[in-house]
Amino acid sequence: MSHPMVEVRDLRVTFRSEEGPIYAVDGVDLDLAPGETLALLGESGCGKSVTMKSLMRLHPAHKTRIEGSIRIAGEDVLAMNAGALSRLRGKTVAMVFQEPMLAFDPVFTIGEQICEAVRRHEGCSGADARARALEMLERVQIPSARKRLDAYPHEMSGGMRQRAMIALALSCQPKVLLADEPTTALDATVQIQVLLLLKELQREMGMSMIFVTHDVGVAIEVADRTAVMYAGRVIEQGPIDSVMRAPWHPYTQGLLAATVHPGMDRRQALNAIPGSPPQLTRRIPECAFAPRCTLASASCHDPLPPARMDGDRLLRCIQPASAR
Amino acid sequence: MNTPTPSAPLLQVLDLKKHFPAGRDFFGRPRQWVRAVEGVSFDVHRGRTLGIVGESGCGKSTTARLLMHLIEPDEGRIRIRGQAFGHGVGRHPLTALRKHMQMVFQDSYASLNPRLTIEDSIAFGPQIHGVAANAARALARDLLDRVGLKPDVFIRRYPHELSGGQRQRVNIARALAIRPEIVILDEAVSALDKSVQAQVLNLLAELKREFDLTYLFISHDLNVVQYVSDEVMVMYLGQVVESGPVAELYSRPLHPYTRALLESVPAQTPGERRQHAVLEGDPPNPIAPPAGCRFHPRCPHAEPVCAQQVPALRRVTGQQVAACHRLQPDSGYSRVITFEELPA
Ligand SMILES: Nc1ncnc2c1ncn2[C@@H]1O[C@H](COP(=O)(O)OP(=O)(O)OP(=O)(O)O)[C@@H](O)[C@H]1O
Ligand SMILES: Nc1ncnc2c1ncn2[C@@H]1O[C@H](COP(=O)(O)OP(=O)(O)OP(=O)(O)O)[C@@H](O)[C@H]1O
Ligand code: SF4
Ligand code: SF4
Ligand SMILES: [Mg+2]
Ligand SMILES: [Mg+2]
Repeated sequence: MSHPMVEVRDLRVTFRSEEGPIYAVDGVDLDLAPGETLALLGESGCGKSVTMKSLMRLHPAHKTRIEGSIRIAGEDVLAMNAGALSRLRGKTVAMVFQEPMLAFDPVFTIGEQICEAVRRHEGCSGADARARALEMLERVQIPSARKRLDAYPHEMSGGMRQRAMIALALSCQPKVLLADEPTTALDATVQIQVLLLLKELQREMGMSMIFVTHDVGVAIEVADRTAVMYAGRVIEQGPIDSVMRAPWHPYTQGLLAATVHPGMDRRQALNAIPGSPPQLTRRIPECAFAPRCTLASASCHDPLPPARMDGDRLLRCIQPASAR
Repeated sequence: MNTPTPSAPLLQVLDLKKHFPAGRDFFGRPRQWVRAVEGVSFDVHRGRTLGIVGESGCGKSTTARLLMHLIEPDEGRIRIRGQAFGHGVGRHPLTALRKHMQMVFQDSYASLNPRLTIEDSIAFGPQIHGVAANAARALARDLLDRVGLKPDVFIRRYPHELSGGQRQRVNIARALAIRPEIVILDEAVSALDKSVQAQVLNLLAELKREFDLTYLFISHDLNVVQYVSDEVMVMYLGQVVESGPVAELYSRPLHPYTRALLESVPAQTPGERRQHAVLEGDPPNPIAPPAGCRFHPRCPHAEPVCAQQVPALRRVTGQQVAACHRLQPDSGYSRVITFEELPA
């Protein structure tokens, strides 16, 4: 692998809450090469969004503890001061969300908001910024883009708003795009349009991308590699085709077996994973999947050792990959 | 599994219509109407599962709510075993309707009363229908056990003390407590994680066998619909555009919209990645739906006739029906094709 664009080591994020600490992320390792797409895959509450927000340091500082290391384009994100952070956000790393209204201010037009971002990061004139905004709306294939510059976010359909948010995020040509379920709320026919658009823009601009999803099919559509999370940890990571063809971790195996895919025999019951993911209000030193794991043995209740690399794949399970 | 269906359908839906007012003028009169459901008809036979698919806002939930009479239809009729239900002369009352038909919603939290224990939530419905309190409680315990929640552990809990999957099991138990014949599942497993969704789908299949249930299964997950359904109905902007047996409809969709929908499902392996999107643009606004065939602005096969004439829902082959001029010889479409000419 060439010099990594993003390198996360043993990331831990703990929130203070009224009910006590929440161990939302508890040992995440991630690698992202230039131009590469990584799908961050996992079920609700496993820490995908918390991980993404950590990369941009978007958590409220007073109630969040972040440990471990995050390097983006060679820089230490956790050591950055306010000035460096504001250069990082938008210019080096940009983010798109499931809900585009999070990215837009409802009282300004789409054009004003893209112009403002471009001016802030590139210091160019108003006219140049407007030209860039128009170019971006055209690039994300928004019909009658010139007219849409003066539209307010609520005047657009869901799919159009999603495109506009992508235009905003990409307007300063970030090196890394963090996409947090940007297509989950879209209809199937619109989702595939937006996925293909993102891939095309990524190729053109040479960006790296981390794409958060809980949908295995979506991960397959966009990703070169995947990292699978469970209860705040990355438990498996590797090239998407090899992980999908031969998952190693019992959770990844269970997840794929439980997912309905086309042409399945309807008379056969699905292979459900019993139980449900744990609460994160307690620190879980052992493997958090143990209560649901069919391979669990006594030593699975000891503290979980760090992840192991095996070729181009990473595994976080006490059983060696060769046991599968 | 295409066993011949018995002749009389359990549920008959005839020409349902519902327009919602959108915005009001100075005098409080509706300025515009959302044509949410526009002449929907279908039959469901006993013991079958009808899957209902279509993009957001196409009227799936409105159809379900009309069937349950949670909202009043503007027009249309519902018959169960030939009996008409709803308001009006000679119709059976709504409590009787809800004894036959129950519904489970997507949002497991919003559909449970936060101040009732799980036991009281489940026992509530049977009591309304005249079951004695003690018997209703016993029934609640039975059903909890049946949906895989240990009664002793869960009976005194409140909704916020359950996970999403557990709450959805409670909702299913609650729907079954009245012993309905028909259960409408409106995105009932959509909010659940895949590992938990599989548990609930298995449970639904078991309960269906055990209680001889008939399901209406509404979902945007086309893979899940294929797995659970016997028949599938495709809606677009308030209308049915195609329906038929699941295997036929998935292997050879008739309507261009059905085809586009199925071709938008994400790939299963990296080798099958989609190269281009089949459809451009978003679904149009239901306030002013396009004239003629409502799909014509997005349809790759549209001809002038499509913008003028509304295509009727007609049988094309076997039990597959579709509303498309291109498949109807007398429609005025210039290059009508036969079923055999359609690519699989
Ligand atoms: N600001 C916060 N304060 C306290 N707890 C939080 C905060 N943000 C997230 N959490 C908790 O951290 C855990 C991980 O949340 P996260 O949003 O990362 O999940 P996710 O994997 O993105 O799930 P989803 O697929 O539902 O979006 C959850 O238990 C969540 O409740
Ligand atoms: N009570 C209401 N008042 C006004 N408009 C409504 C009301 N309920 C639904 N609508 C509108 O009717 C149309 C059909 O909505 P419906 O909820 O039936 O769609 P759906 O197919 O269930 O969509 P989804 O997949 O998003 O659940 C939409 O345009 C919706 O905005
Ligand atoms: S560490 Fe043990 S419990 Fe955890 S996944 Fe591996 S075998 Fe299962
Ligand atoms: S009627 Fe015309 S526009 Fe409508 S689906 Fe058929 S070919 Fe397309
Ligand atoms: Mg999230
Ligand atoms: Mg709905």
